[in-house]
Amino acid sequence: MVKLVDVPEPERTVIAGLDCPTYGDTPFSNVPPMHERHVAIVSTAGLIVRGDRPLLARDVGYRAIPSTVDDGDILCSHVSTNFDRSGFQQDLNVIFPRQRLAELESTGKISKAADTHYSFMGATNPDALEVKARELAGSMLALGVNTVVLAPV
Amino acid sequence: MSGLAHFFEKEGLATIIVALVREHVEQMRPPRSLWVPFELGRPFGEPGNATQHSRVLLGALTLLDGSGPGPILKDFNDEKSMTDTTDNWQFPITLESDSVKSELLSLIPVWKQARRRHGRSTVGISGLSPEQAIEFIDRYHSAKPAPNPKGMSVVARARFAIDDIKALYLEAATAVGNPTSHQLQNWLWQQTIAGAMILKFQEKARTSENKNLQLIAGSLVPAERVISRC
Repeated sequence: MVKLVDVPEPERTVIAGLDCPTYGDTPFSNVPPMHERHVAIVSTAGLIVRGDRPLLARDVGYRAIPSTVDDGDILCSHVSTNFDRSGFQQDLNVIFPRQRLAELESTGKISKAADTHYSFMGATNPDALEVKARELAGSMLALGVNTVVLAPV
Repeated sequence: MSGLAHFFEKEGLATIIVALVREHVEQMRPPRSLWVPFELGRPFGEPGNATQHSRVLLGALTLLDGSGPGPILKDFNDEKSMTDTTDNWQFPITLESDSVKSELLSLIPVWKQARRRHGRSTVGISGLSPEQAIEFIDRYHSAKPAPNPKGMSVVARARFAIDDIKALYLEAATAVGNPTSHQLQNWLWQQTIAGAMILKFQEKARTSENKNLQLIAGSLVPAERVISRC
């Protein structure tokens, strides 16, 4: 297993030195108990459904990935070469553990795994995503989602 | 990722980040993060290790039981790898070496074997077949470039054709054994004609007068592979 200090240069310096925005406060939403959670996964791997227009660099939109989509039709359009893709190529759950989440639902640990999960393009100025992120939050809340697992790559 | 947490929470949606770069969440202070000590690109751990994926996922969801006022950042307990990686790994067969096309043709059966092993393939984002993707890049800077189907700019098509070629080769390389990502990258960039073709394309893109080609140059080859070639 590799930690950031093991990431080869020059990527390590680039990643560690990225200019991250800061926020004045840290908002905390109410969280229901585990067994009442309706959970969606939001990935920043630039995932798309096969045949959709790929997400491009600095694309601020997102893509929906319904649970009915076969694993073999989920593709990665992320712009960066800084991360390993071979894990994802061998096993989708490495970056998008929707199967593991469904198991938590089937064993009663959580109330529900969302019917649709989502993906943005990473390596994007976070503030540029705000409008679409807030829009997506409203959509998920309307569908009953109350918890989001955010998964980077 | 931390920005998304802030925006979702402000709308009333609870979030937990599975974080790969600790420094970023320390700086951006999202409400809840579980830092995992895995390789970039593998937030839930190793391929094929369902137990590990579940532990990370459940660990993250359990962290939601905590509350503010300050950000919560917890480390996922490091654990021994469950997968035995293959020492002295080599690609399963000797590939044809006459041309990139002959190399591809000899690789395709191994790729199909890998596809059966993993139950899927991630090749296809360019909309081209593997043969077309190779042809597209091989002829890109020639006097007779391959035709670009409708629906994507020629530069975007080139970028995604290269993504497909890399995915095809790396998938094929996992048909047998459990190579590390480092072994896979060494093989692709140092031992294949396709890798050499992409490196050459990347150099031409980097020095091109076409601004769009320049922009994708950084998205084709890991930077350390460009440097190690110099």
